[in-house]
Amino acid sequence: MSNGTEFYFTEDRVETRGMDVRLLRRLLSYLSPHKGLLAAALGALVLGTACQLAGPYIIKLVIDRNITPRVLDGLAGRVALFLAALAGGMGFLYLQMFAVSIIGQRVILQIRAEMFGRLQRLPVSFFDRTPTGRVMTRLTSDVEALQELISSGLVSTVGSVTILVGIAAVLVWMDARLTLVTFAVLPFLVLFVELLKKFIREANREMRRKLARLNAFLQEHVTGVDVVKAFVQEEKSGREFDVHNDAYSAESIRLTNFYSVYFPGVELFASVAVALLLWQGGIRVIAGAVTFGTLVAFLEYAQKFFAPIKDVSDKYNILQSALASSERIFQILDTEVSPEYRPLPSGGKSPLRPVEERGRERATQLPPPAIEFRDVWFSYPKGDGEQGETVLRGVSFTLHEGETGAIVGATGAGKTTVLNLLCRFYEISRGEIRLFGRDVREIPREELRGMISLVLQDPFLFSGTIRENVEAGGAELGRALGVAGVSRFAAAWESGLATQVGERGGRLSVGQRQLVSFARALARDPEVLVLDEATSSVDPVTEHEVQAALGKILSGRTSLVVAHRLSTILSADRILVMHRGKVRETGTHRELLAARGIYHRLYTLQFGTP
Amino acid sequence: MIREAIDGISAPDGRGRVVRAVSWMVLFAFLHGGFRYFGRRGMLVTARRVEMRLRRDLFAHVIRLPLSFFGRTPTGDVMSRMTNDVSAVWLLLGPGVLTLVGTAITYVLGLLFMARISVALTLVALAVAPVIVVASREYGKAFHRTHRKAQESLAAMNAAIQENVAGIRLVKAYGLEGQEERRFRGASRDYYRQNVSVARTSAAFHGAIGLLAGLGVTLVLLLGGWLVIRERLTLGGFVAFNAYLAMLSFPTMALGWVINLVQRGGSAMGRINEFLGTPAEPREPLLVPPRKVPDAPFLEVRNLSFAYEGGGRGEALRGVSFSLRKGEIAGLVGQTGSGKSTLFSLLLRLYPVPPGTVFLEGRDAGGLPLEEVRRAVSLVGQDPFLFSDTILANVCFGRDLPDEQEARRAVSMARFLAEVEEMPDGVHTVIGERGVSLSGGQKQRATIARALCAGGELLLLDDALSAVDSETEQEIFREILSARGGKTVLFSTHRMASLSRCDRILVLVEGRIVEEGTHDELLSRRGAYFDLYSRQMIARELEAT
Repeated sequence: MSNGTEFYFTEDRVETRGMDVRLLRRLLSYLSPHKGLLAAALGALVLGTACQLAGPYIIKLVIDRNITPRVLDGLAGRVALFLAALAGGMGFLYLQMFAVSIIGQRVILQIRAEMFGRLQRLPVSFFDRTPTGRVMTRLTSDVEALQELISSGLVSTVGSVTILVGIAAVLVWMDARLTLVTFAVLPFLVLFVELLKKFIREANREMRRKLARLNAFLQEHVTGVDVVKAFVQEEKSGREFDVHNDAYSAESIRLTNFYSVYFPGVELFASVAVALLLWQGGIRVIAGAVTFGTLVAFLEYAQKFFAPIKDVSDKYNILQSALASSERIFQILDTEVSPEYRPLPSGGKSPLRPVEERGRERATQLPPPAIEFRDVWFSYPKGDGEQGETVLRGVSFTLHEGETGAIVGATGAGKTTVLNLLCRFYEISRGEIRLFGRDVREIPREELRGMISLVLQDPFLFSGTIRENVEAGGAELGRALGVAGVSRFAAAWESGLATQVGERGGRLSVGQRQLVSFARALARDPEVLVLDEATSSVDPVTEHEVQAALGKILSGRTSLVVAHRLSTILSADRILVMHRGKVRETGTHRELLAARGIYHRLYTLQFGTP
Repeated sequence: MIREAIDGISAPDGRGRVVRAVSWMVLFAFLHGGFRYFGRRGMLVTARRVEMRLRRDLFAHVIRLPLSFFGRTPTGDVMSRMTNDVSAVWLLLGPGVLTLVGTAITYVLGLLFMARISVALTLVALAVAPVIVVASREYGKAFHRTHRKAQESLAAMNAAIQENVAGIRLVKAYGLEGQEERRFRGASRDYYRQNVSVARTSAAFHGAIGLLAGLGVTLVLLLGGWLVIRERLTLGGFVAFNAYLAMLSFPTMALGWVINLVQRGGSAMGRINEFLGTPAEPREPLLVPPRKVPDAPFLEVRNLSFAYEGGGRGEALRGVSFSLRKGEIAGLVGQTGSGKSTLFSLLLRLYPVPPGTVFLEGRDAGGLPLEEVRRAVSLVGQDPFLFSDTILANVCFGRDLPDEQEARRAVSMARFLAEVEEMPDGVHTVIGERGVSLSGGQKQRATIARALCAGGELLLLDDALSAVDSETEQEIFREILSARGGKTVLFSTHRMASLSRCDRILVLVEGRIVEEGTHDELLSRRGAYFDLYSRQMIARELEAT
């Protein structure tokens, strides 16, 4: 699943709260930069509605002034007026629809950018506990729902209401009693719609939930099809799929049944209203109380009146789900940024200084250790603000400039955590981490991360060319490519450094990806190299190249390495043996072997008897 | 009836006629509502059932397609056919057919009644209809085109987000936040542009179609008014005609939409049929199933060669031959890409095996029912894939019914029981996206438990313990070997220390078995195995000096 399109069918809890005024207000605040467009849209809406309302009235005039008295005079003029009203109505409709979608699109463009910017600054722990799929849903379908709210929800609700009010006003103005007759069915209609709406909304939500479950099952079994085959479970999987499929189908049929009542029902009410109108209106026309044209106009208006009513109840659904989405969106926007992105309390006491200057300073004084951990305690934060199990329990060590420190230890000893903390991906609970004598919490983020180059265990590359990937690290391309051995394998390719690496570097072999990630780390000529050695096995030839490159990279450079290769461990100036969250032994390979402690045991297990 | 009522208004004995007409109208409205309810319900529910059956058959078929199919078809493509295309077929069969039938009925009846009122007026009203149909169809196409472009830029934007999130540590470590934001802004702006163009098309269409429909009404108003004045048409007829015309305007617009729906549903069905037409893995055994040969080795591979489809990669295996006795423990050693995983897949017949190359207890595996072969072999793959379900369900995945006791035994053999018991619901803990997420080592141990629980006679471990520390690896091996109960084991690993337990080691180089023997024999031969081994040991020798 690492390449190709990934699908996300995450089930998110759909909260059904009433209207949250604060939420709505905050959403509206995103509209304020587009006041002009919004005004234009509303203007077009009002004018368009006026044009639409004019149509039936003109027909009334045609009937009363031309047809009933049998007069041809002015017929053409009135018809022309009708056409003009029509053209105006449609023109305004176009303007309004277009303006509204532009507003909606712009708002979500802005919200998306804000969300993405916020994501870049969230603590790493956020990404540890939030599955990628969920982050994706926030930025895609949730934002999409919001857009739906703005472009079809908000403005067209205003539109529907305008039309309803407009029609009601015109009708009352023409004849109050007939209006009353027309609207006689309205209370029943509203009752009917309200009653069914509840069921429909509920069935709809249940159906979507079932669909998400079905699709999640589907995706998982397509991804893991080899496992299904290896264990001959095609039948069982088929049966389980049927269960999900049937559940979804039953729910969708339930919804279909509700809609089968709903749509014809609303139409029935409209027909009944027309019949009532004809009955009462007919009697009144005969009695001479209203003109014939008025009755026809009433018929026309009644038809226009019932269409938006169907709409309004739909819109409520949109509004509901959009509010739930926006709540989730604002949750991300309100998640506190990682502390290193906040301004330093010292107010920039330590401004950015060029490297040479720092070097000169160091030469004149007694140099502090390059890396120093002082009694560092740490546990990974959990989502609910609680702390998880303690991972580091008082880690202390020092590493001097130019030295390579190799961290060894069993899985779960806390090796990678030490690297994460040096990069300040997490905040420590107790103790101090110093880089060239300065607490990492007091070094501005750009400076701190500018000093360190990180190589991850999984050699992650961004899609793009090899060159772009290495350039992301820094400007010293030539040397980095050479030392890491990238130029050697890239030279054999047609496009060389311009070769596309594919999604996550998928077009390169694992070994090549490692070499490129080395080059990226070297391209900035870092003061400190932080490296989590890959455990994945590569073939011996590549392994040899990787080792050779590593040797060159590490020699004479301050580096902290989580080491798995024997060669790396042996070449280290200092080995830090971690065990259960503590540094238990330090020294060179020979010293540690002689001590016959943890290191000796680990070594024997990993590489056989010494 | 509207006509009757209105004509009644102008007639002398008006009241009675009006009341009669209105009563008829109400009756018809109820009848119409009833018909619509049953028609709609009947058709849509049937379509939903068809959709369900289609999806069921499609899944049952796809899950039985050969692995090579999944190799050449991206997961996204498989998913989109099983979700979007199935939905498109439902839209065609449900709302599509419903609208089509509704439109046809409305048209025939509407035109009939309109023609009865006035033929000339009907012809005038119909003048704009073809234009509307063509316009809606063109719009459907344009909408589809722009919509597809929008989908493409959405996919690009999603890829950007996904990559960013996956590589967030690097983004932070190299201070790439700004650069990433710019990249994302570009992608999302592109998506914005596509969406605006969709909106423009759709707004223009709605405006135009309204105008066209209105034009028809205008013409009718002009001509109809003139006809009434000239007393060639009653006022009731005129009003009723207008009402019928209004009834027709929606179906006319819908026709373009339906045409589009039919086109899309048709091509979706075509894509689905492509899948359904791909032959599934052959399952039928030979008429006379081969018999076990008493003295034959448990597993024998004879001169097995294999190349992946759509090659260019050459042969993955070249003339591999070896045999394993029942209960034997064999190690498989080789560099990445030497063909270890291919060999494991072929032993399970995940890819077609040429006849006469793989024998299980003397029977040609190619002639055995597929199910029998796979039930005899339990594979633990390199990539520990688990389902988002309980641990129990995962471990018992290879069994027809879950057996908690067996599952616990397997989990304990895989050295996973202590951790499982610490979890909130023990073996009933749900893992994966919706539950507890396991570490790489835990996942690997769970997959080992799954293979042990499946109970195959031949256990294949394909570098299955790479994320487990070496101490635990040793323990698991010890446990499996002592409690295997006559199972034959073939495993590959990159930790040489584990190989010393093997009865035999096979060395695979570029798809060929170049050496075979015990650890000591192979070392003394000083060949490929010795090379691999010494690479790990060189440094130690250096140290000794």
